[in-house]
Amino acid sequence: MTSVLIVDDELFIVELYRDILQLRGYKVMGTAFDGEEALKKYTACPDKPDVIIMDHRMPIMNGVEATKEILRMNPTQKVIFVSADVLVEKEARDAGAVDFLPKPFRMDDLIEKMEKVSNGH
Amino acid sequence: MSSKKARHTKDDQFAFYMDLLSHDILNNNQAVLGYLELVLASPNADKTVRKYAEKAFSHVRTSTILVENVKRLMATRVADPESLRPLDLRKTLDRSEKELARFFPDKSITVKLTRVPEKVLVVGNSAAEDLVMNMLVNAVRLDPGEAVELTVKVVETEFRGRDCWKMTVEDKAANLPPSLKDKDIKNVYLMDSSVAVKLSGLLFAKMISEMLGGDFDAYELPGNGAQLGAGFSMILRRAGRP
Repeated sequence: MTSVLIVDDELFIVELYRDILQLRGYKVMGTAFDGEEALKKYTACPDKPDVIIMDHRMPIMNGVEATKEILRMNPTQKVIFVSADVLVEKEARDAGAVDFLPKPFRMDDLIEKMEKVSNGH
Repeated sequence: MSSKKARHTKDDQFAFYMDLLSHDILNNNQAVLGYLELVLASPNADKTVRKYAEKAFSHVRTSTILVENVKRLMATRVADPESLRPLDLRKTLDRSEKELARFFPDKSITVKLTRVPEKVLVVGNSAAEDLVMNMLVNAVRLDPGEAVELTVKVVETEFRGRDCWKMTVEDKAANLPPSLKDKDIKNVYLMDSSVAVKLSGLLFAKMISEMLGGDFDAYELPGNGAQLGAGFSMILRRAGRP
């Protein structure tokens, strides 16, 4: 079962991803509401998630910074960036995100990308 | 602080708040889209529920496009003129032509480029690139036929004393909306809301073009037989010219 860490500062978005991903058979192993919380949770968990769904515009630490920090700890970690800021795509990819989805997107598109990433494509 | 600096600061603040609001709307659209997907995937949803959910889905997409347009308007309004880069309309046109088929999978579209130079450098930004696509998409959308033929021309022109490029997209089989036939686009721009309410896309194109120092127009042209065609023209300043 593919495991996921969801990082987004909007509770209703976190709930949406969690509801749909669980229904589709994914294991949501954690959620975080800012980049710093994501780092703490990521560091603390012994089994790392297969995929991290990362928002950008968040308080305390944004998604690009959090992605850089996580990849510094674990360069093989897969991070899919999701953001309403389309202009941040290049920055996100430069930081190491494997893919980028502009909000709003179809959850089917996110799931398709997660499948590709978790299967090593 | 100079009045110019103060104005920039006020513009920046306004753009910042607009950006935050747009961001929130897009996040909410994300939630609506996601839950509509759940409704559509539910085995309990009958044909009628699915039909309504699909309609809602389509409206959320339109809402997202409108929000993106607001963001582009803001970005262009507050853009530092120095930050505008030379944009090659020819390259944008070639790219947009390729993307056009993806927008209309059920139509066969031919784009005839006549008198389009190899390089057409204008002063622009990403919003100007979108306008090229916008012109092509709207021309196809106004054409009721399955086989659509667009003619694109780019010519040198002078506008408000400046050297410019004028790009036109014409379709002899397209129909302009009745509201545009009665009152031309200038009325839309003069904030006649009775016209503008149905033509906000056109108004958007006009505003972006003007902010970039150019102009935009929509017009009828002699068509095939009794039917009149539709044309769109966009004028943008030539890059590297005073």
